[in-house]
Amino acid sequence: MDESSKPTTDRAVPGFDASVAGKRAECDGGGPILGTRYAGRQEFTGTLSGEFVDHGDPPWRWYLLKDLERKPDNYADECVWCESGSVFLVDEPNRVPGRP
Amino acid sequence: MAKNPLHTPFCEMFGIEYPIIAFTHCKDVVVAVTNAGGFSVLGEAMHTPDEIAADLKWIRDRIGTKPFGVDLVLPASVPPAGGLDELKSKIPQGHRDYADMIHKKYDVPEPKGKEALHQWGGLNQQMARAQLEVLLEERVPLLASGLGNPAFILDAAHARGIKVFGLVGKTRQAKREIEAGVDGIIAQGFDAAGHTGEMGTFSIVPEVVSIAQGKPVIAAGGVTTGRHLAAALCLGAAGVWTGTLWLASRESDVDMIIKERLIASTAEDTDFSKSISGMTMRVLKCPWTTEWKKPEAPAPLPAPYQMLLSSPYIQGANDNRRGDLMTEAAGQGVSFVTAMKPARQIVMDVVDEALTTFENLTGDD
Repeated sequence: MDESSKPTTDRAVPGFDASVAGKRAECDGGGPILGTRYAGRQEFTGTLSGEFVDHGDPPWRWYLLKDLERKPDNYADECVWCESGSVFLVDEPNRVPGRP
Repeated sequence: MAKNPLHTPFCEMFGIEYPIIAFTHCKDVVVAVTNAGGFSVLGEAMHTPDEIAADLKWIRDRIGTKPFGVDLVLPASVPPAGGLDELKSKIPQGHRDYADMIHKKYDVPEPKGKEALHQWGGLNQQMARAQLEVLLEERVPLLASGLGNPAFILDAAHARGIKVFGLVGKTRQAKREIEAGVDGIIAQGFDAAGHTGEMGTFSIVPEVVSIAQGKPVIAAGGVTTGRHLAAALCLGAAGVWTGTLWLASRESDVDMIIKERLIASTAEDTDFSKSISGMTMRVLKCPWTTEWKKPEAPAPLPAPYQMLLSSPYIQGANDNRRGDLMTEAAGQGVSFVTAMKPARQIVMDVVDEALTTFENLTGDD
């Protein structure tokens, strides 16, 4: 394999995407369940702050969803990081955030 | 019959005989199903990159160049929380007290080993990236993303000849992933083991097929017989994704106590409960799930907090082999898991029943 094309894991580059800042969005979220072999789904609705972090290369983009209007029962936090492919803009359902 | 109904586009894609995909965490099941003409996907979400590399070598030593897959759980959302101790500190005292009550009432033993929670750094994206690197390096024929959208890794995977499938619980997730360029979709219904979406298999499969642009769609959730396979193909699926079917197989490394419970269980013996992880999850009923359904029980905490509460119970039950306490993820198709058979025989039984079903439908023999 060409080393230059090898994905990297150790970079996390923060940024700001003005094109999504302030937009309402839903996140079909979830992830691995600590200590088990399983995964679970969690759904959120809130407002994108515009902040993002690109993990590794090729970049794996994560957006910060704040002011959560919908979140799992007892979800303790006021915000959640959502993977860009799992973010659905409420008013632009066909647009994938982070892509042209 | 002019055409073999079991020879689907998924079979064409990988050059396999039967469109039966075994999702398993057991390498022996992978080998047995693959060598029987089916296709296997090994769940590696909990393993370190080194463990994954070792597993791939072990499997390849036994199946040669036959294709197989690996499933990783790519996260789709991550709370802005810190480490394990910080998470534990957020658990309300009322929930701790209720968990303690269950431990006392059922005399739940202490875990024998180190808590698994401490052995895994799966709370962040870095772990998933490191796991992905191994799969890319090893050029695993199929990468299945068990939850998050795998779009970001598609180019790297395709450049190495790796097919990428996404497992979805909603049609809009399938649409997003298909537009991104995945090679196929696993459409998982509510009947499935573990964590599922809210749509039933009979509803989500044809809906995803209708927007899949000809890409193979694999039906998941409640599939344990040849009749299920035939039905899935009639819905437009190109194969079935099966998990519970293999848990009680002879090769499976699941504890014999759980195998016996699976064999004795019906769909009604499963619970759809948030008490294990904080997310609704289908498992075999056990005292933990029953107690958290009682009116006096506090509402289960969201993930990952509820898992921090349930982990000592689950690990204590498993480490000490307390059959009255143990549980396992199981789908509603568990009713048809009625014997401990070799995986090869399970493949053949499903194939034979599916073919018979098609013959009965068409009148061919």
